[in-house]
Amino acid sequence: MSQIANRNRNIALIFLLPAIVILFVTTIFPMLYALWLSFRNYDLSKPFIPRIFVGVSNYAEVLSSSAFLHALITTFKLMAMTLSVQLVLGVAIALLVTQKLPGMGIVRTLLLIPMMISPVIVGLVWLFLYFPELGYLNYFLGLVGISPIGWITTTGWALTAIAIADIWQWTPFIMMGTAAALQSLSPEPYEAARLDGNSRLDIFWFVTLPQLKPVLVSLLFLRAIDAFKIYDIIYVLTKGGPGDATEVISLYIYRQSFTFWRMGVGAAASFISLMIISLLITYFFKSMQRSQAMQAR
Amino acid sequence: MTASAREKTLIYLLIALVLIVFMVPIYLILASSLKQPVDMFSQPPKFIFTPTLQNYYDLFTMRPFHLQILNSLIVALGSTAFSLVVGSLAAYAISRIKNKWINEVSFWILSMRMFPPITVVVPYYIIFKTVGLLDTPLALIIVYSTFNIPLTVWLMKGFFDEVPAALEEAAQVDGHGVIATFFWVTLPLTAPGLAVAAVFCFIFSWNEFLFALMLTGSKAQTVTVAVMSFWSSDAVQWGRIMAGSFIVLIPGMIFVLTCQRWLVKGLTMGSVKG
Amino acid sequence: MSSVALRGVVKRYGQLEVVHSVDLAIEEGEFVVLLGPSGCGKTTTLRMVAGLEDISAGEVEIAGRVVNTVAPKDRQIAMVFQNYALYPHMTVRQNMEFALKPQRLSTAEVKSRIAEAVRILGLDVLLDRKPSQLSGGQRQRVAMGRAMVRTPKVFLFDEPLSNLDAKLRNQVRLEIAKLHKRLGTTILYVTHDQIEAMTLADKIVIMKDGYIEQVGSPEEVFARPRNLFVATFIGSPSMNLVPAVVQITGKSVKLAAGPLTFDAPSSIEAQLRAGQKVTLGIRPSEITLVPDHASGLEASIEVTEYLGTEALLNLRIGEQDLCVQIPASSRPPLGQPTVRIDVDSRHLHVFDTESGLAILA
Repeated sequence: MSQIANRNRNIALIFLLPAIVILFVTTIFPMLYALWLSFRNYDLSKPFIPRIFVGVSNYAEVLSSSAFLHALITTFKLMAMTLSVQLVLGVAIALLVTQKLPGMGIVRTLLLIPMMISPVIVGLVWLFLYFPELGYLNYFLGLVGISPIGWITTTGWALTAIAIADIWQWTPFIMMGTAAALQSLSPEPYEAARLDGNSRLDIFWFVTLPQLKPVLVSLLFLRAIDAFKIYDIIYVLTKGGPGDATEVISLYIYRQSFTFWRMGVGAAASFISLMIISLLITYFFKSMQRSQAMQAR
Repeated sequence: MTASAREKTLIYLLIALVLIVFMVPIYLILASSLKQPVDMFSQPPKFIFTPTLQNYYDLFTMRPFHLQILNSLIVALGSTAFSLVVGSLAAYAISRIKNKWINEVSFWILSMRMFPPITVVVPYYIIFKTVGLLDTPLALIIVYSTFNIPLTVWLMKGFFDEVPAALEEAAQVDGHGVIATFFWVTLPLTAPGLAVAAVFCFIFSWNEFLFALMLTGSKAQTVTVAVMSFWSSDAVQWGRIMAGSFIVLIPGMIFVLTCQRWLVKGLTMGSVKG
Repeated sequence: MSSVALRGVVKRYGQLEVVHSVDLAIEEGEFVVLLGPSGCGKTTTLRMVAGLEDISAGEVEIAGRVVNTVAPKDRQIAMVFQNYALYPHMTVRQNMEFALKPQRLSTAEVKSRIAEAVRILGLDVLLDRKPSQLSGGQRQRVAMGRAMVRTPKVFLFDEPLSNLDAKLRNQVRLEIAKLHKRLGTTILYVTHDQIEAMTLADKIVIMKDGYIEQVGSPEEVFARPRNLFVATFIGSPSMNLVPAVVQITGKSVKLAAGPLTFDAPSSIEAQLRAGQKVTLGIRPSEITLVPDHASGLEASIEVTEYLGTEALLNLRIGEQDLCVQIPASSRPPLGQPTVRIDVDSRHLHVFDTESGLAILA
């Protein structure tokens, strides 16, 4: 390697150092501390019991608790609901919004706003709409003959209510990415298809969608990570209730740590969920690599 | 394809529907913030009402809201500036160095985004309490940077990839050092990326709630926490909440309306082959 | 019956008219090339025949049927696009299958059509590859295959060679010529490259600014260009142009251009007026070198370009530049400052300078 290239690489390595050091310090210390907590009987509600080392009993308790399992299931249920609807809606709206008609640019811009709102505010406005007895959503539903729904008060509806709010906020993200991808597609194959007379449905299904697949996978992956962590919206709308109908992982951890004050258990649950999400990510990446390798062959 | 008039009408109709769904809640925030309590939940909803600025007035008198806005600004700007510097340097390194360790490092950095925040709240609380940084903007700046730095790296890497190495080599052949080349040649070419990263770092910090709630008290409280504080154990003070919400909403809206093109470009760099 | 007929075809974008009343008749099996610089309307005309552009006025007829309002897929045409227009995520085979999907043919029929195209174009090894795994020439052949499986009455080509490098261009050009010979289908071909037009076409249609300048066989447009534009567009290196004035003294009609003064060709003498400003056109290949002691004009050599089998001499006589094309072996030795040249006045093209039109016998 030339002198210049060598020097470049060394300096580039130095460029990398601050980020690594800072991230290391700011994440490793809290992580280590949390790890320490997870092996201890750290219960703030019982200040007189010594905080002793209890081995893996916190982990055992979490893994065997039905509440944790329920939280996991609820989290995945919510993820499935929101991701699937966001995907379909996002792609559909993107198709609409990339038509070459006047005003579409403004529409695309306006539709980006929900994404940029604080999740807490999103929760608040939907709370306003869902508010028992007074919220406007039930009023408008009533206008078309639907009887009022206890959005956040009924166990059957609570998770859906949250899903709706989350879908409202994040569909624009999928739409934006899909719209950008659609606009980057080469137009010539579409002319050829038009010439040959392929139906519009065929063109969408066989020409557009396959080309969108990599982008959609990418977008969904990002959204899945965030969906797993979801907290603010639920905190505002239902705080995990009614009962535990909307208690997702992050709320389970919150309840253990800040309602029951059992920090050790909360920490153990945190690590377990971290491991779960890491496993999912690794699985995801491995299968991506596998499918890429198969395509190349 | 020349769409028929009927198709065009259908498309516009659907778009109108979509716009209504996505814009009405935002309108609600603004409208409700200007309503008197009696109009807040009137059924049928009142589109014409006597507006009042009382809620906004209350916002600033019942809470030191201007101070809280200042706190949010300090934290957001601080974290943004810090993360931009650290993050773009790292992104540059990741873009230019090609060996397998780099991929591991880059993956590790990006995985920082994947932590559920709730998992580190307690440790951060205890650590900051120990070093006496509780209830200070600095605490939040540090915490937000663990998210903003990876975000910046993710956004900027794509922009750095687009700057041809040939340009840097030309500058170096002329005798400029690596650092000078970086500042005078490479970085200016990635200015749009920096702008995008800045916007997203700012918005994330401005919008954040959980850490702000847990790590601040009365002195360093941010706007999101302040808005939620109007929700006392029995009553939700909707007017003031909506007023505060609208103010929290403003930076996001401004950025979207002014920088839309850049934002889309930055976000889709990673996913879409431009 | 003509295979394709255009009658008074006009294309307007709003108020702007880009194709002005084009009339053209293409016989069955003919290879017709629309030739012209970019922006001349040739691609727009092609697309109107294809059905990708609406026809603002006039009629397009394919196989005896007026197709103005007929969808592209029902016009019995197939098109090969400039950028291949292949579906990037589909294999070659799938590309061809998708082109046939709207025809609703039996699986057996689809298979046999694809097999035929594959055989003729030599695509068998490529069938399961995706476009990104193919070279430019291969992609172009696949694009042709995709058009072929439609078994159209007319093939439309939109500048198919412009994305290929020079060597590949010659190869694929040859393949297109062979394909035409083999299939005998009518072809309408658009290009800006006059070499493609000259080598491939039965009939060349030269267009400029939305107008047809001349229609004729390659020999016709080369030997008898109707105006200055066609004369300089066709032929490489392009025709030498010499401004001259008609001088009539008694019975002799001369075309005077300083030291280059010629007797007017007898066939057109009668059409010339005294003092008429004309432009003389002389093809580089029609200027001959004469030995020193003979008659002819002396010209100074500016640049000699050696091309292997030929050489181009860039000469200057007085104020006039001339390009001469000669066999390489005849070129003057390096360092020689002048040569003597001669022009047979029978090879002179005469154009009226003001109108640009050729003065023909």
